[in-house]
Amino acid sequence: MANPQDTALIEVRGLKKYFPITQGIIFQRKVADVKAVDGLNFAIKKGETLGLVGESGCGKSTTGRAILQLYRPTAGEVIFQGKDLVKLQGEELRKMRRNMQMIFQDPYASLNPRMTVGDIIGEPLEVHNIAKGKEKKERVQELLKIVGLNPYFVNRYPHEFSGGQRQRIGVARALAVQPDFIVCDEPISALDVSIQAQIINLLEELQTKFNLTYLFIAHDLSVVRHISDRIAVMYLGKIVELTDRNALYNNPLHPYTKALLSAVPIPDPVVEEKRERIILVGDVPSPVRPPSGCHFHTRCPLVMDKCKKDDPEFRNAGAEHWVACHAV
Amino acid sequence: MTQTRSPAGIDLPHRARSPQRRVVGRLLRNPPALIGLGVVAAMILCAIFAPQLAPYAYDAQDLSIARQAPSPAHWFGTDDLGRDMLSRIIWGARSAVFVIVMVMIVNLGLGVPLGAAAGYFGGWVETVVMRAADILFAFPGLLFVFFIAATIKPAILTWAREAGWRDLANSGYLDYAVVIIALGVIGWAGLARMVRAQVLAVKEREYVIGAQAIGVPTWKIIARHILPNALAPVIVALSMGLGDIALSEGYLSFLGIGLQPPAPSWGNILSDNAGRYWRMFPQMIWMVWIPGLILAAVVFAFNFLGDGLNEALNPELVD
Amino acid sequence: MGTLLEVKDLRTEFHTQDGIVHAVNGVSFHVDEGETLGLVGESGCGKSVSMLSVMRLIPMPPGKIASGSVLFQGRDLVKVDDEEIRSVRGNKIAMVFQDPMTSLNPVLTINTQISEALELHLGMTKEQARKRAVELLKMVGIPEAEGRIDDYPHQFSGGMRQRVMIAMALSCSPQLLIADEPTTALDVTIQAQITDIVKRLKRELGMAIIWITHDLGVIAGLADRINVMYAGFVIESASNKELFANPLHPYTLGLLGSIPRLDEAHKAKLTPIEGLPPDLIEMPKGCPFHDRCAYRTDKCANENPALELGAVRHQVACWNWQDVQKLRATIKR
Repeated sequence: MANPQDTALIEVRGLKKYFPITQGIIFQRKVADVKAVDGLNFAIKKGETLGLVGESGCGKSTTGRAILQLYRPTAGEVIFQGKDLVKLQGEELRKMRRNMQMIFQDPYASLNPRMTVGDIIGEPLEVHNIAKGKEKKERVQELLKIVGLNPYFVNRYPHEFSGGQRQRIGVARALAVQPDFIVCDEPISALDVSIQAQIINLLEELQTKFNLTYLFIAHDLSVVRHISDRIAVMYLGKIVELTDRNALYNNPLHPYTKALLSAVPIPDPVVEEKRERIILVGDVPSPVRPPSGCHFHTRCPLVMDKCKKDDPEFRNAGAEHWVACHAV
Repeated sequence: MTQTRSPAGIDLPHRARSPQRRVVGRLLRNPPALIGLGVVAAMILCAIFAPQLAPYAYDAQDLSIARQAPSPAHWFGTDDLGRDMLSRIIWGARSAVFVIVMVMIVNLGLGVPLGAAAGYFGGWVETVVMRAADILFAFPGLLFVFFIAATIKPAILTWAREAGWRDLANSGYLDYAVVIIALGVIGWAGLARMVRAQVLAVKEREYVIGAQAIGVPTWKIIARHILPNALAPVIVALSMGLGDIALSEGYLSFLGIGLQPPAPSWGNILSDNAGRYWRMFPQMIWMVWIPGLILAAVVFAFNFLGDGLNEALNPELVD
Repeated sequence: MGTLLEVKDLRTEFHTQDGIVHAVNGVSFHVDEGETLGLVGESGCGKSVSMLSVMRLIPMPPGKIASGSVLFQGRDLVKVDDEEIRSVRGNKIAMVFQDPMTSLNPVLTINTQISEALELHLGMTKEQARKRAVELLKMVGIPEAEGRIDDYPHQFSGGMRQRVMIAMALSCSPQLLIADEPTTALDVTIQAQITDIVKRLKRELGMAIIWITHDLGVIAGLADRINVMYAGFVIESASNKELFANPLHPYTLGLLGSIPRLDEAHKAKLTPIEGLPPDLIEMPKGCPFHDRCAYRTDKCANENPALELGAVRHQVACWNWQDVQKLRATIKR
């Protein structure tokens, strides 16, 4: 594997996103911050899928949105095609959106219920002046075919479709502008099991066909291991481990990754019987007041005194296996 | 086939129908709403075709037939000046509809953009708009109208007469203007609050964030993605509010600060008949009851309609 | 061990404006004492509705139990009066739902909510009930139970709330616990905590469990026996190990092929089940799965197969299960 810096399509440096908690009605004052994303460093190589896993509230969705500047980051840089997205404003940023797109989790909430499928998929073509009128309609129908839907569906409304079909519409909308980079934010979590595989396969096909780069955000490690080239594990606003998907499974270094892997159920009673579970105690602490030092120390089976004081450095433990833990 | 979560937490499949058709269908299956719709439609028809429908001119006096009971010639009887009550009530519908429509335009024109801006942009825009709305809410509405009628109207009247616009001053348009401005300026605050709350909720929906991700310009996001999805409760509130406007026009005119006779308004018909003569001639109950009941019917009609719309527009509801 | 609950030919439908939704279409199964039965299927397959029907918790109207019987301790729960079903509900049969927040009353303390059932069904005094409530919270692993019993639901995290729900369900020592996707809303590490607790409690208390889920992974680690449901029918029923080792219904096979497994390196491609589940209002004439099925024959479109014995203690509703078995054997080789 080459040095990620050489072929990086997108590079994230020191990314932070804090949401202020305010009090007062007329004079609002900040009383605290939700540190949703607290200093991330990673790169995504051209053509790869980087999986981002973590449990609810770990900041993985916020990361996706902060990269695309849907939430403006509190600090940090996002270098994409030679530009720092964090510094772009207004029209410049809007034009940049042609190259980076997003697929959402909830196929019911992510499509405007009052627009037809044709208008939904045609909107990006229209706002970026890519196609108009008849040309736009043809392009929309072509996109519908690409995602495996009937091109005659253009005049229908989202509610006439099932969850899986809606998710295909969402994919077609993201593809319309021919982007290089797509953030897939839990694109299959809301779908039924038998439909999930359809969408996973579609995303994989499209990646090969259009040379796409994905940031694939999910809470389901099995799915992430299936689709990703490399995987980053997040806990409470920080990446704790980042490496190749097989290395992560075969040789997890961070105690949180180990616990997470052991908690994922495997659909095989024979395997399940023999498995040793690492059951973590307690719950994820609040991101408003994250624990001192290493954020995981309150639940960590290997906790040492050092962990309570010092935040472990996110470092390369060899062979591009990055981890943030004092015990490794 | 899509799924909707019913209150019991069971996912029931139902046929997909366009949102518009579902709303209309539900409305047509709701008897009180249908009655409301009928009354409102009748009122609007009366307003449009008043000249054709009214058997007499609304201001035609004939003292020889004053204070007659309802009869085939005068279905609703006559008032103390011998004017045909039916004709005055039909023309009164025109006044009512005119005021309702104009006040609605002022309310919507102020309330929707201000509320939407407050909700979408937040920050100082929100502070200014919402505090202004709070101030209006803190003020008793009726008092505010009195204030306008008592201070601004005489000043304008004097000014118009002095400027030589005697016709304007005497025409009664100013009466309409006072009522519309007063009710319009008060009414937007409630709408703005509601629109803001709705916009705040819709703004966080994924399809709005989706539109941002695509690169849709801000004004288009508001106009195409947020407002159409935020207006359902506004329509309901507006429909209920229209009855209030009709009533407000009635009581303003009843109190003598709204439309002035001979211009016909249900409020001033009531006040003419009730204030001056009903006490002396208590047997002439039709003079008060008929316009009073019609005003009440209209207020109920708008409320029934609003209630029906509230149910029909509720996306959570399963048929 | 004896049979605890026996459901025979249960049909539940919902009368809606669009027509009759056939949610459960003649389902028969039983649960033995102390057994864990998994009820697996996708949304709309009737797994929750069949269990709500057993508890008579279907909103009526629009719901209706059209036919069938639910035998529990010699009584038919479909026929008993409201008074009697209430004495069974929460007492002999308890239920845990997916969303612990909506199942708990936000303005009452945990103590009030647990004690309610104890006072009602077991006739305990306030003090006795409180003592028992603390015990129950300890049993489900809530730390500092004495201190937390007077807290309100919002003071607990999602996983802790689900523990409270389980404690409430177990308060009257039920013989049967129906768990409707109790871990679906929870994170995997919390899910592991909850399934761990349930397994332990089952060992200790010996009640039977019906665990409703769409997650084949969760059920593989929990169940003794599994019923797979599709479009309101039970289409396959076998012991846990048998079902995963030897799936006979094309739908079950399809489900297993469409989920990536954590312990498997990247397969070339998943094999999804094409198409969509049928419209429950206009049910297809033949097998409900036939238009998505790779093994279909003409017969499948016209006649709906009944659940019959395929292998030893293994029932399947498919005309062509033998072909499925043969083909799978060749693929394995």
